[in-house]
Amino acid sequence: MATRTKDVQTDTEELVTATESRAPAKQPLIVPADQPVAFPLQLPEFSARLKTPAVGQRATRPDGRLHGLGQTQYIDDITFPHLIHAKVLRSAHPHARIISIDMSAAEALPGVLATLTGKEIPVNSFGPTLQDQPVLAAEVVRHRGDGVAAVAALTEQIATDALELIKVEYEPLQPVFDPLEALEDDSPKIHGGDTNVYTSKVIKKGDVEKALAEADHVFHRQFQTQAVEHVPIEPHASIASWDANGRVSVWSSLGRITLGREDLARTLDLPQSKIRLIGTIVGGNFGGKNEITNEPILAMLSRKTGRPVKSVFTRGDEFISSTIRHPFTMDYTTGVMNDGLIIARKIRLVLDGGAYCSWTATTIGKGSILAAGPYNIENLLVEAYAVYTNKTTTGAMRGFGAPQVCFAYESQMDDIAHKLGMDPLEIRLKNAFTEGSASPTSQTLQSVAVKESLVQASERFGWKEWQR
Amino acid sequence: MIKRGRGMACMWYPIGFTVAANPSAATVKVNTDGTATVLTGTVETGQGALTVLGQIAAETLGVATDDVHVVSGDTDTTPMDTGAIASRTTYVTGNAVVLAAEKAREILFEAAAPLLGVRPDQLEARDRKIQVLGFPAKYVDIATAAKHSENVLGCPSIGSATYNPPTVAMDPETGQGKPFSTYVYATQIAEVEVDDETGQVEVLRIVAVHDCGTPINPMLVEGQIEGGISMGVGFALHEEILFKDGAQINPNLTNYIMPTSLDMPELEVELVDNYDPTGPFGAKGAGEPTAVPTAAAIMNAIFDAVGVRITSLPATAEKVLGGIMELQAS
Repeated sequence: MATRTKDVQTDTEELVTATESRAPAKQPLIVPADQPVAFPLQLPEFSARLKTPAVGQRATRPDGRLHGLGQTQYIDDITFPHLIHAKVLRSAHPHARIISIDMSAAEALPGVLATLTGKEIPVNSFGPTLQDQPVLAAEVVRHRGDGVAAVAALTEQIATDALELIKVEYEPLQPVFDPLEALEDDSPKIHGGDTNVYTSKVIKKGDVEKALAEADHVFHRQFQTQAVEHVPIEPHASIASWDANGRVSVWSSLGRITLGREDLARTLDLPQSKIRLIGTIVGGNFGGKNEITNEPILAMLSRKTGRPVKSVFTRGDEFISSTIRHPFTMDYTTGVMNDGLIIARKIRLVLDGGAYCSWTATTIGKGSILAAGPYNIENLLVEAYAVYTNKTTTGAMRGFGAPQVCFAYESQMDDIAHKLGMDPLEIRLKNAFTEGSASPTSQTLQSVAVKESLVQASERFGWKEWQR
Repeated sequence: MIKRGRGMACMWYPIGFTVAANPSAATVKVNTDGTATVLTGTVETGQGALTVLGQIAAETLGVATDDVHVVSGDTDTTPMDTGAIASRTTYVTGNAVVLAAEKAREILFEAAAPLLGVRPDQLEARDRKIQVLGFPAKYVDIATAAKHSENVLGCPSIGSATYNPPTVAMDPETGQGKPFSTYVYATQIAEVEVDDETGQVEVLRIVAVHDCGTPINPMLVEGQIEGGISMGVGFALHEEILFKDGAQINPNLTNYIMPTSLDMPELEVELVDNYDPTGPFGAKGAGEPTAVPTAAAIMNAIFDAVGVRITSLPATAEKVLGGIMELQAS
């Protein structure tokens, strides 16, 4: 079954032109006031939502209508009586020891109701696999996005003004920004110990050196990718409200509330039964909203003030203090026979991890497993290292390392095809997985469709007929 | 001069994540009018997951998508879920929903069987009916079965279940093992124009053919593919966080350039006909892989157009022009 975008267009046009899908004609769809009123949708009879069997239907989304009418409640739309606002002061240095934090001037500002530093957080560390990240840095800052203190005030503006009154004394430490420099013995060690490498991965199959020696051609190239941000339309946002029974409710833009509650329980040192975490409709995630950010800070500020506390990241906060995509440095060495058969691939990946681990364990895992591409390669060696640097923390982002390695393995496929005078389609079809192929981890693959996708895409594109 | 080129890239991508267990739980309740409610601890992050989970429950119960309401995202009321991450929701949470809905359906079969004079295992749920396998004229409405079960027999139709994909831990020395239950595959082909006097790249067209197993909702899969390509175009040509002494110098949407609708090429999207026996009704997943091959396809198209091999992303006009000038010099 091939589905094409033109079918979508037809469906959408039908919906738009079908009068049944509209509200009764004589009544306005939205009344002109602060409170928009939308009439209940009467689904047209042809609607895919009404059809059985349900699977395979092009069913419209019930939330889509609410988005379209501006009725979806994002965190920024939610308010409570006595709600106050929090802001977080970020580090002034990429790497420094905190000598002292003086909150007195900020606390004296009229409208400021409470302040918070890292020392007041019961368990001041979190992270999905390695709890190496402070909620608010208390002793050392490791990148410019580290929070060092928070303020809750009657308005966002007062909270912002109060941040400027916080006096933090730092002792700058030697930073390291380049991941390859961070690998060297004499580099500053960002989390102590004797290395900045905090996780690594090896995938080994066959004898890669022997096969490279036997190959008709050996190709080598280094590829690099950049840091990019998820840029969701809705930045990270949350509200915390601590009630008189000592139970805290948190509304959050998190994409994974079960683990979010575990992290909150740990950092606040509270039983999970005392925490309610509500995942609101998220305005874009792309992997960036998979772990707590300000939630424990807001909970602590709510406990101090007895009021619900809200914070919404500015776009700047979103860039510098939420996670970003791992830049990869990738060395690919590939041994190929004259007929285009790949017999060996040796890969070294260095992941610029930024200041904290976050979702690196999954990124390095997927990056390594996928690094050789969807190809049958008998002899393979992948070595991957994730290294701390004093830059923005890298974490989960749509594809977990896959877009980076795909850029490398597919660029090199075309280098090989070009050198051997082969069609890029033919060299891929020659080497691609088929049903039952063994993956680089020797897993037997099922429902494999790489060749089918290559052939179908080439036909749709007109690959064979294409002219420059 | 404007030079035209084409480039392809294929990819594979796992469904779920490594390192830890990856479970989801779900609860399905059938109301006495034959509609149903699903409880899930995942969160709607814009991808349409709740619609897909509703369709999966509806399919299992033999009702329509609109008959099912999905409640999500509240630790006080919804069951455990590993979350909206790693393209896992359709596959992992979807499998949990199937198992939960089957339990609820079993209660309806137990109630309907005596009414129809057959055994529960001779029944199926289709078109809002509980009917005898092979004898579709012999049936009771799902509403009748649900009402009878709850109000006469005192057995409300409800089911809860969990699913955790079976994996085998990877050997730390060699990486050998079964880190994921299944994978998806895709090919994207890009057609570009490169101005060899400025290095400017314009992507004219991208053909994207993706495998996601059975598409539970083809329209939402296509939406994912189109959105993923826009991220891929940004990764390929525009987006880059720039650092100076560890500080970001472009943390704003004025200087961090993202593709807009004006930068988007013509998209032609198709799905591969496929079925994965381990997924809910053969489905796998579609979220992340859509953004994976785009940049590689565009880089290969640039190479085809002007012979410049871009080795570091993004392929800014400066880099492409630098490559063209290097080629002309040699």
